[in-house]
Amino acid sequence: MSAQAGARRPIAATGRRPINWRRTRRLTGLMVALLFFLFLAFFPIFFMIHGAFVADYDLIDPSVSPFWFSRPLTLTHLTYLFDHTNFVVWAKNSAVVSGAVVAITLVVCLPGGYALARLRFAGAQNIGIAIFMTYLVPPILLFLPLVQIVGNVFNLLNTKWALVLVYPTFTIPFCLWLMMGFFRRIPIEIEEAALVDGCNRWQAVWHVVLPVSVPGILTAAIFAFTLSMQDFIYALVMVSPSAEKVLTIGIPTELIRGDVFYWGELFTAALIPAVVVATLYNFFLDYFVEGITGGAIK
Amino acid sequence: MYILLLVGYPFFLALYFSLSSVTVAGGDNGYVGLSNFLQLGEDPQFWTAFLNSWVFTFVGEIGKAVLGISLAFLLLALLREARSRFGRGSVWVIRGLIMIPWTMPISLAIWGWKWMYDPQFSVINRVLGDWLHVMQHPYPDWLGDPLFTRIAIVAVIIWKGFPFTAVIVLAGLTSIPQDIFDAAKVDGAGWLRTWHYVITPMIAPILFIGLIFDVTYTLADVTIVYLLSNGGPYGTTEILPTIAYHTGIQGGNLSHGAADALVLFPFLLIAMVFFLRLLYRRQEA
Repeated sequence: MSAQAGARRPIAATGRRPINWRRTRRLTGLMVALLFFLFLAFFPIFFMIHGAFVADYDLIDPSVSPFWFSRPLTLTHLTYLFDHTNFVVWAKNSAVVSGAVVAITLVVCLPGGYALARLRFAGAQNIGIAIFMTYLVPPILLFLPLVQIVGNVFNLLNTKWALVLVYPTFTIPFCLWLMMGFFRRIPIEIEEAALVDGCNRWQAVWHVVLPVSVPGILTAAIFAFTLSMQDFIYALVMVSPSAEKVLTIGIPTELIRGDVFYWGELFTAALIPAVVVATLYNFFLDYFVEGITGGAIK
Repeated sequence: MYILLLVGYPFFLALYFSLSSVTVAGGDNGYVGLSNFLQLGEDPQFWTAFLNSWVFTFVGEIGKAVLGISLAFLLLALLREARSRFGRGSVWVIRGLIMIPWTMPISLAIWGWKWMYDPQFSVINRVLGDWLHVMQHPYPDWLGDPLFTRIAIVAVIIWKGFPFTAVIVLAGLTSIPQDIFDAAKVDGAGWLRTWHYVITPMIAPILFIGLIFDVTYTLADVTIVYLLSNGGPYGTTEILPTIAYHTGIQGGNLSHGAADALVLFPFLLIAMVFFLRLLYRRQEA
């Protein structure tokens, strides 16, 4: 919410006179700048969309504009994905892995976040910060030993459950931090009121705190999902059988065969999950920013 | 506990790997002290990667700052206009579109770039060379020439990161009351002075946290380089994460791989210390 709530006072309406040239100029400037940034953000994506729908020959035919097409648009890339590749399997794996990661993350973060926000035991604050710090320890430092652990201790290498095991290393710290912030903002008085009315602590949490923290829980779930969809390195080093791959890794390893790029299929396969993740992420972007800057703003 | 087990234990294992000699094939030859790190120091490939890591991050950070800060001011102005004109929904949609580079998983969005850099069908070369005649033959081989590959990688790093910079700066800007902008204006401060003397000091903590996040992320990210050039041509665009992968997994030399990655750690530690100090100072205030 911070982005919108911040523009507190509306600029006084200046459009009373018939034509306000300064304002018009300013608006035009803004629009031009906006178009520039839209173009900047969008052009690589444009080529993916373009490539997903045009015929293969249009992509490599020098007489056809790279922005347009001459042969009829086609859905063959999509049908090829479904009929001749493991795309559906990867999508399912991605869904299973992300779903399981979300579940684990929530199971840990709800009680954990609540405890860190409410219970005033010594150093609760420090524990919270320490956990958040682990989010700054990047996967690249951990992936070599984790491969060994997953392989030797859990014997899960080359299954998607390896990913379910390791993704919480980065989803939990972030989501715990988010949940801590959310719980802290719920006034303690409503819990006390519930306690006075005869609930025990558990009932107070279940009937009073949880219902008001649904947005927070949803946010944590979405971030656990998007973060686990964004991983690449763990999926790359831990899972190699095609039937166990997730989307991010199935696409580059099986839609490029030797030197041959299956561009149309590649674009289609990448666009579908990318659009889903980007949309979800966008809905909750403000919470993400708040989670990162939260400690600094207040 | 879970966190401790899943982050703490591997981390110490990584430390141990780097200080001993472990290979996938040959097992463990015990503690060898700092010799892995010393061997790294003699390896020109390591220094290439080390240098690349920093250059990519640094140049990328500058690019992101320039684009991100401009975008933040644009969005701020738009938000204010929009409140009186189009309603918030429109701005939300526009922001969503501009955020695409950040919100899309880079391992998926990168294929658009890969296509633009294609040696044969590069869209960039076709537009700038064949249409606009800005470039002469031979056109750059974007992922085949050391210099152009570096440019190509940094371009993607900037593209991926500038919306993030923008939302962080915007979060800072919107936390400043309008009165302060007005006061600065009345006092005759220009844009640059307002930015330097008024805005930056006020939002420094936010900027700094955003910066720490982004530097950590960029330094440690393997995806962009791995998928674009895989360190090539001839290892000239390797970064620390990619050599950690190449030696640790593909070469099977866990110790050297772990050492490659751990070289990053002191820098991350510094970032964390700064981060902590900021948090504590805020709490005291």
